[in-house]
Parts: sequence; structure tokens; C-alpha cells
Amino acid sequence: MSTEKTMTLQEKIIQFLVVVIIAAVITAAGNILDGKHAFGPSLVGCFVLAGIAFAGAVLSYLPGFKKLPMVFWVSILGVILSIPGVPGSDWITKQAAEVTFLATTTPVLAYAGLSLGKDLGAFKQLSWRIVPVALAVAAGTFVCAALVAQVVLHWEGVI
Amino acid sequence: MGLLKNWKIHLLCLLITLVAEGIGIQKFGIVVFLPLLYSLVIGLVISIPKLKIVTEEQMVAATDYLNISIMILMTKIGLGIGPNLHIIMNSGWALILQELGHFFGTIVLGLPIALLVGMRREAVGACYSIDREANVAIIIDRYGFHSPEGRGVMGMYICGTLFGAMWISVLAGMIAQLGWFHPIALAMGAGIGSASMMAAATGSIVAVHPEFEREIMAMAGAANLLTSVVGVYFSLFVSLPIMERLYGFCARVLRHDSEEVR
Repeated sequence: MSTEKTMTLQEKIIQFLVVVIIAAVITAAGNILDGKHAFGPSLVGCFVLAGIAFAGAVLSYLPGFKKLPMVFWVSILGVILSIPGVPGSDWITKQAAEVTFLATTTPVLAYAGLSLGKDLGAFKQLSWRIVPVALAVAAGTFVCAALVAQVVLHWEGVI
Repeated sequence: MGLLKNWKIHLLCLLITLVAEGIGIQKFGIVVFLPLLYSLVIGLVISIPKLKIVTEEQMVAATDYLNISIMILMTKIGLGIGPNLHIIMNSGWALILQELGHFFGTIVLGLPIALLVGMRREAVGACYSIDREANVAIIIDRYGFHSPEGRGVMGMYICGTLFGAMWISVLAGMIAQLGWFHPIALAMGAGIGSASMMAAATGSIVAVHPEFEREIMAMAGAANLLTSVVGVYFSLFVSLPIMERLYGFCARVLRHDSEEVR
């Protein structure tokens, strides 16, 4: 459930911009708590990430680009801008390296957690049977893929 | 349009992030707890409707903010792929073939457990894929919302939303600590196709193998991209037909009512 469907394109883009800036500041604040990073460089790194994310989001709203999800366009833009030799890629990857991967996950899952209360009612109506099945399904996709990867990487001589 | 009317959600997010990062990574035996796990759990507790701290409307807004802030994370992952393209190219076959593990792993582990707890046709919807939004749409479209398959897929969707990331974070940390798999193989396994579950799994693997952080992020990102692009088509054209036949076979063996064996 989301309010997105009732918003105009312009409202969606403005909302994205405002929220991505707030999220960047929160990420930078969390990033310094490992004691290894300073706030200034962290903030620059987070704004670089937020800027690319915003550009990818705008791209995903363009006609013809909507066939694939926003996650795809944002990721692809990140990939292209980090390929050595692409103008600016050195500077971008250097700034982004100031922000740890784990620091980018914490605020995202805080927002996720804050949204979950509304799903508790639906969960209480489910049969208990779905819980072990759900755990097995999620474990299965992770473990089976890791298993296949382990075997094939060995064949390929990568590991 | 009151862009900052949900300032309370942002403020709570900031406070939760600071508390979670302040606690930091904790290891107990083979279990690894990450800040992302604390922030998810603290957020969930705060949003319990009985506590009346956040309103239903603010929770809906939090979903929007989740979908926006996760793009910062996806950018971070994407930026890790470019400099490591050579490793990804060298692992081409592994990357392609491990997708079969992602797509069939849900059935391989899910279906036996579903049959064990006595689930009937609900199992078709619950186990045919990881059951995120697009997969839910496929089942609802084919069987209808009120069908057993529809109940199965919705149940799995709700469970995945509620504790998918928590479960996969703890599980990936334990499996990484066991040392059975190379960190790069684990990273590919983390490319589940759901951004929050991928982040949770990748975070735990990085916490256990920090010396491989770059490679882990690049591989998890590449695998996740592949899963999310190919996954919907694969689940529609391959996984669902196979799931149907497999369930039909199991139902005959277990002598379920004939009406259930379509």
C-alpha cells in the first residue's frame, strides 16, 4: 500500500528529492558512529549517492523507461558511473567509499520497520502453517543459489 | 502538499539509526546481529498500532520513504560493480547458473515443509517463488485473490515483508560463520531479488568477511540485478508450471482429495 498512485509525476519527483536528501543526512549521521569516518566527507559521499539515485529515479519516470523498475535504472546508472575510464568515475567512487555499505542499510530498514505496524493485523489472521514455510522458502533461495555458485565458481577457477 | 508533514517519521528514523549504529555489530557464537536488524525491530515495535506512536497514514508514508531511501543503498551497490566488472565477467557461468538456485530453491526447501505442515494448494502460491509484488500479481491474475493459491501467496508476501529481512540477516550470518561457502558464492546467494532481503544478507556476509567487502557487494549487486530482471518472467513461464506439476504429483502420492489434483 502506498500513496504514490494518487500523486502526480511532479509531486512524486519533489517527494523523491526531499526524502532522498533527508535520508542522505540520516545515513551520514549513522556513518560516523563507527568511529572511523568524519561527518563532512560522509555527508559529501551520501549526497553523491543521493544525487545518482535521484537521477536514476527521474530516468525511470521517462516514457519508454517505465517498462523496467526504478531499482534497475538506479543500479545501472551506478554501474556505468563507476566503470574506470568513465568521466568522473574516479571522483564519484572515491566520495562514495567514505560511506560504508552497512551505514546505507540502517536508515532504510528503520523506515521499513516503521511501516510494518500496519501489516500486523493481516499477519494475525494467517494460519501458523505459513511461518515455517516462509522461513524455508527464504532460506531455500539463498542457500541453493550459494550452493550452485560455490560449485560453478570452483569449476571456473575463480575460487 | 505538506512535504514535511511526516517529520515525525524522519525524526524517528534518525533516532533509530543513531541507536542502532551506536549498538554496532554484535557477535554471539555463530550468530551475527547488525545495526539494520536493530533498526528494523525497533521500528516495528514503535509502529505497533496499540502504542499509538505512529498513525496508519504515517506508516503508509514510511513505505514511500523506504522505497526512496533504498535507492541510496542500490546506488552504493551499483557503484561497487563497475570497478569489479572483470571479476563478474570471469564468473559468468556461476552468475547465470546460480539463478537456477534462486528460482528453484524456494520450491526445493519450501514444498516439503509445506506438505509436512499439511498445507494443500496454498503451497503452490507460497513456494513457487520468493513471492514479492510481481510474483503476487502473477498468482492473483491466474487463480484469483480468494483462491487457495492466492491465500498462499499473500501469506508468504506478508511474512516476507514482516520478517524476511530479519530472518535472512541472521541466517546469512550463521551460514557465513560456518565457513562452508566462499564469500563470493554467499554474495551471489544474497542476490535474492528483494532489495531489503538482499541488503540484510549482504550486510551479514560483509560483517563476517570484511576483507572481501568490495567483491561481496559487487557480486551480490550483480546477482540481485539479474534476479530482479529475469525473475518475474522465469517465475511465470518456468517456476509456476513446474510447481503445478510437482504439487499434482505430490498430492497424488499423498492421496489428497481428487478435486484438489487438477
